[in-house]
Amino acid sequence: MLHAKIVDIKEKKISLLDAEKFVSSFDYGASIYFTGTVRNQNNNKSVIGITYDSHNALVVKSFEEIYNESEYKLKIQNKAIFIEHAKGYLNLGETSIIIAVACKHRDEAYVLSRYIIEEIKKRSPIWKKEHYTDNQSDWLKGNPIVHEKN
Amino acid sequence: MKIKIELFGASREFSKNNLIEFEINNSSTIKDLRIKMINYLDQNFNGNENFKKIVNTSVFCSENNNIVSDNYKITKNEKIAIIPPIGGG
Repeated sequence: MLHAKIVDIKEKKISLLDAEKFVSSFDYGASIYFTGTVRNQNNNKSVIGITYDSHNALVVKSFEEIYNESEYKLKIQNKAIFIEHAKGYLNLGETSIIIAVACKHRDEAYVLSRYIIEEIKKRSPIWKKEHYTDNQSDWLKGNPIVHEKN
Repeated sequence: MKIKIELFGASREFSKNNLIEFEINNSSTIKDLRIKMINYLDQNFNGNENFKKIVNTSVFCSENNNIVSDNYKITKNEKIAIIPPIGGG
């Protein structure tokens, strides 16, 4: 069971309550909630906020691929996964991503949660533009996506 | 033929419209498009090396949301997205 979405910050904030509603079930004994938030320092610069940009269709597609891989790579069959990523400007402390996973047992929940965030970092087309106290802003360099054969 | 390049991430700095239109030859590929974009940056941003680096390290996404190789043949009026190096979360 998967919920995967990019949420425009102008319409709604991403919420742990939504995540909890989605993954809660008597089927699962272990749940893990991962959140990413905007912090005040990066590369020795004082950050006041981050603008997140995304290619929504490709991002959701990547979330679905990651979900499917957890089936055949991690062999985790019974699970609920909730992934939402914010798009737009976020202030310090605001939540940019929520990954909630629920599984039968804690071992697989920890593995799954970590797998999802690491894969998102590698392959989901999301970009950050940091805004600093000196009124400057910069797109972070990021990592190139590996070309697929076509 | 005309095509539209949708800009994302750092490449949004290439235009205020978040989109660049190019006139390209029929059966042009992504490789040709990269060259076209580099020429555009030479003309409009004085060959800004950081911008050119973005183009050279980006992949491109077809209208049906597939990452495509440099040999991909672009079709008429297709909207192509440039996908610069990523880093969300």
